[in-house]
Parts: sequence; structure tokens; C-alpha cells
Amino acid sequence: MQPIVLLISLILMAALSLVFWLATRASNGPEPGPNANSKRAGLIWAMTIVGVVVAVGSLRPWPHALASTDDAITVSITSGQWWWDIDTVEIPAGRPINFSATTEDVTHGLGIYTSDLRLLTQVQVIPGYTTEVSYTFEEPGTYQVLCMEFCGVAHQDMVNEFEVVAVEE
Amino acid sequence: MSAVSELVAEKSIVTEPQAGAVKLTMILSGAVFALMMVFGLIMRAAQGQLIEVDPALFYQLLTAHGAGMVGTAALSGAAIMWYFCGRHIVLTAGIFWAFLALFLLGVVLILGSIFIGGYGGAWTFLFPLPAMSGGAWEAGAAAAFMLGYVSIGVGFLLYYLELGRQIHARYGSLVRALGWNLILGREDKNPPPPTIVAAAAVTIFNSIGIILGAAVLVASLVHLLVPGFEVNALLAKNLIYFFGHVFINASIYMAVTAVYEILPEYTGKPWKSNRLFAIAWNAVLIFVMAVYWHHLLQDVVMPPWMLVVGQLVSYFSGIPLIAVTAFSTFLYVRGSKMTWDLTSSLLVLSVAGWAVGSIPASIDGMISVNKVMHNTMWVPGHFHTYLLLGEVAMAFGFMAWLVRGKTIAQMSGLDRVAFVTYLAGAAGFVTVFLFSGAASIPRRWAVHYEEWLMHDRIGTLFSVLIVMTTLFFVLRFVLRLGRSNG
Repeated sequence: MQPIVLLISLILMAALSLVFWLATRASNGPEPGPNANSKRAGLIWAMTIVGVVVAVGSLRPWPHALASTDDAITVSITSGQWWWDIDTVEIPAGRPINFSATTEDVTHGLGIYTSDLRLLTQVQVIPGYTTEVSYTFEEPGTYQVLCMEFCGVAHQDMVNEFEVVAVEE
Repeated sequence: MSAVSELVAEKSIVTEPQAGAVKLTMILSGAVFALMMVFGLIMRAAQGQLIEVDPALFYQLLTAHGAGMVGTAALSGAAIMWYFCGRHIVLTAGIFWAFLALFLLGVVLILGSIFIGGYGGAWTFLFPLPAMSGGAWEAGAAAAFMLGYVSIGVGFLLYYLELGRQIHARYGSLVRALGWNLILGREDKNPPPPTIVAAAAVTIFNSIGIILGAAVLVASLVHLLVPGFEVNALLAKNLIYFFGHVFINASIYMAVTAVYEILPEYTGKPWKSNRLFAIAWNAVLIFVMAVYWHHLLQDVVMPPWMLVVGQLVSYFSGIPLIAVTAFSTFLYVRGSKMTWDLTSSLLVLSVAGWAVGSIPASIDGMISVNKVMHNTMWVPGHFHTYLLLGEVAMAFGFMAWLVRGKTIAQMSGLDRVAFVTYLAGAAGFVTVFLFSGAASIPRRWAVHYEEWLMHDRIGTLFSVLIVMTTLFFVLRFVLRLGRSNG
């Protein structure tokens, strides 16, 4: 997802920057025409419609929905300054996993990464609460857990890993 | 100098209330901006392993950089808005001096807590981290840091109390100052000018933000003194991000008054309040307070409707910015035959940077995107866009205008080089952050893996350009100020 997000962002940012550059060039051109404000109204409507469409498309299904407990395996992760404790060493590929995370001290951020450091999903881990996030690993291999919320002087050392293994049918 | 600009410059002989206090504030702001950018440069160089910085010191620099930049953005924005509100209402000079004194007291406490006490809990003081340092700092250092915030907050409340009081005295009520007669189509012989509409809105939302910030600061301070006093961490996080989001946005909404008041000198067209403008500012008043939930999109224990509101408002906040402020800037500039000097270039750049920066922010405000972008380098990528190329550019544009004199002339060679270098440096710097975010590099890590070093090193190069041009803008301001005063 990240390269697509980057590409869309850069295109939109470049387009708006280009409009500004053209606007500065237009300072020596003619004054705005009488229908300038109707163009503004069109822009407001266009932005509103795009916003509604994107919102509906991106919120259904609910991005934080958990996998059904009938299919899913629950993996409990406990955290503290500056460690992760994962109760399952080997996680099966192809089955939805519900990670259930708690903290013993401050707020941490549970970030699940591939071995080549691509972020797959994350959830905040807040004192006094159990937070959950679902993910289905398609590929076997080693995955890493990195802390995504600044939690003190050894924040960058708060790393652990687990294995995803292929399961024969 | 164009004929139109000359005419407007002559006509715009207006009072310059408390110019001395405002100029002093801008000198301080410029100096702190430069210092905080040097801290930023050190952090990028350390992440790129170009220099060695102990993680404890790195996080102290991170804390100073965050608190210092947010505070200075707010300070410079407040000085700008105070200056231009003085064109429309009479403001008490003593209040501004008290505000500045409390701000400086806060700065001393914050810097002392960090560089003497070793506090490195980030500017967001996320509960209960200040009380649980793992041995890196004592409770006293965290308390000093928070007392520094309290001092700054009290200063700002005084500032807004005076603004609100004088706006009420001049316009009858804050509701009228928000342009409600324009919205309802009622006759108003003395409609509030854009600066007053902005001041009324910021006075309301930032006062609420600071009061809620004070509540969580006091609770955190009590927790430091009496560890048995528990605070709900999620409630504290809500209060902190409400305060933090509103406060940093207020800095831009205060500084934009420079665009409303200065740009007409160049375009020959006064920036006027109208119905759409008033509706936009009233929308901003609500949106700024309702959008803070987009900072908590990965806090899945929050009620889902709040996260949905966070996503929706995050996007729809862009409409007043792009379709009103940015679009109006296009209309004012188009056909104006305006002269492009350092002031006008920086001010138009500031609107562009603010608007462009809202794009990656809105995209990150989508919950599904936020799952893989939250707390990566994407986040500093978008907020540096609308701060470096937005608020800070507004502040530098205002500083250039303060020392411009009455003559408007095309940019000199040196100014042009500095402007282009600043633009290139800042654009490159934020683009590297966005690429780093897309590469999943987490933010606020003192030590980076080998795979990430190229990002950090390129970012370091761009930050050198920003520091150099910032020093130029600040020194140019101070030297010309000395010359004009002499």
C-alpha cells in the first residue's frame, strides 16, 4: 500500500504546487473573470463529493475489524520498557491472527514488520487497556515487532521477532 | 516599484501599535527557530550516522526541538496577530509584555528541565512517560518541563483574554466578530475585517485547547508528586492531543493574518470579509477542535464513531484551506501586476506550503492508510511541510516586511538566492521524510538501521540548506532593523 499512497500524495502535491506556480505567473496576466467564484463553488462541490466517496470506500469494511474468533488464533503480546513478550513462537501462515496487546508501564506502539522492514499493521498499546489488531500472514518467514510510540531512552531497542510457518492442509 | 503597489503603500499608513515589542518578539522567534533547526540538523545527521549522539541526548534534542518549534511557531504567530489586530482594536501593551515574560520564563524552565535535568519525554509528555523515565531523568525535571508549559499557557490565556475583551468592546460580541451578520445576510455597517474574524476564532478555540491542556498538565504534575494518584492514560492522551493539535494549528491561523494584511499592499486589492470567508472561519473553529481524533486512529479502544469523525474532519478541513484561503490567494494575485520581493514571495509560498502540506496529512488521516503510516517518518513529513513552508514562511515574510520600508522593489540577487535555496531545501527535506514514511521508517528513533541511512543522509543535506537560509533571513532582519532604528 505504501508506494501507492506515496505516488498519489506526490502527484496531488505536485499538481497543487503547479497551480500555485501558474497563479504567480498569472499576476502579469488579466484580472480574474466574472465566473471565478462559480469555479470556486465547483471546487467546493468536487472536493465534497470526492471526500464522501473516499470516506465510504475506505471505511467499509471497518479497518479495525477483528477476525472472527471461530477462525482466528489469538496471540498475546505483553510489553514494557523496553521489551515485547510474545506468547506464541510459531504462527501459522494463512490463518487470521488476532494480536492482543497490553503494557505494564507506558504507552507503546505495536508495529508488525516483515524481515525486510516493511510495516504491515500496527496498534497503540495503552496502559490499562487491551488492544487488538488482526492480520493474516500469507508468507512464512521471520517477522519483527518494532515499537512505534516513543517510550523512553531505549525506545529504538524495543524489538522482537516471531516466525510464521507454513501449515500443511 | 509598480504604480499600484506605490499607491497602496502610500495609502496604508496605519498605526503600528507596539511595534517595538513585536519586533523584539520576532528577533527572539527567529533566533529560536534557527537554534531548533540546528537541533533538527543534528538529529538527522545522528540518524544518518554522520555524527555520534548518545540516545539520551538525542531524545533531549528531540524534546527541545518539538517543544521549541511548536512554542516558537505559536509565539511568532501571536506577535503577528497582535500587531495586525492593533490596526483595528486598541490592545494593552502591558498584557503583551506580561505574555512575553511568561513565555520566556516557560522557555527557561523547559530548557533547564531538558539540558540540566535530562528530561527527554518528547514535547507530547504522553502520560505516564514523564513519571516513568527508566532512570533517564528525575521527577523534578519532568515537573519543571510541565511548569514551563503552564507558564506559557498562562501567558497565552492572558493574551487571548485581552484580545477577546477588546474585540468584544469594539464589535459588541465575539459572535459578530466571527462574521455572523455576514453569514445571516444581516446589514452590518462595520463588518469585522479578516484579521478580526481570525482573531475571534483563534481566541475561542485556542483558549479551550489551553484550558484542557492545563487540566492534563495539572493531573500529570500531581501524579509526579503523588504516584498513587492515577490518571486514565487514554483520557490523558485525548486531552494532550486536543491541546497539542489545537495549539499548533492556532499558530498558523494567527500567522495567516500577515497574508490578509500585507498581500493587499502588493495586489492593490484589500482582503475583505464576506459571507464565504465568515462561513469558512466558523467551519475552521469547529474543525480544528473536532479533528484531533485523527491522532488516535490506532487507539482501537476509542469509540469507533470518534475515529470516523477524525477521518472525515481531517479531509473536510482541507476545503476551507484550499477552496477559500488558497483559491482567494490565486484571485488576489491574478492580474495584480504585483512586485515579487522577499515579503510577497514568502507570503504566497506560505499559503502554498500550508495547502500542499494538507494533502499528505489528509491521506494519513484515513484509518486504513494510517495503519501503515502512523508514527512513521510520514508524520514529520506532512507537518514539516505546512510548518516549514507554511507558518515559518509566514513569520519570515512578516519579518522581511517589517524591515522593508515604504518602497517595494523586485527581489535582489541575494534575496532571490536565499528564497530559492530555502524553498529547495525545505521541499527536499519534507520529500525525503515522505519517502522515508513510505519505506516504513519509524519516527523518533535515535538509532537507525543500515537500510535507512541513505534517507537520513539526503535529509541531512537538505536540512543544511534550511539552516543556512534561516540564518540569512534572521540576520538580514536584525541588521536591517538596526539600520532603520539607527
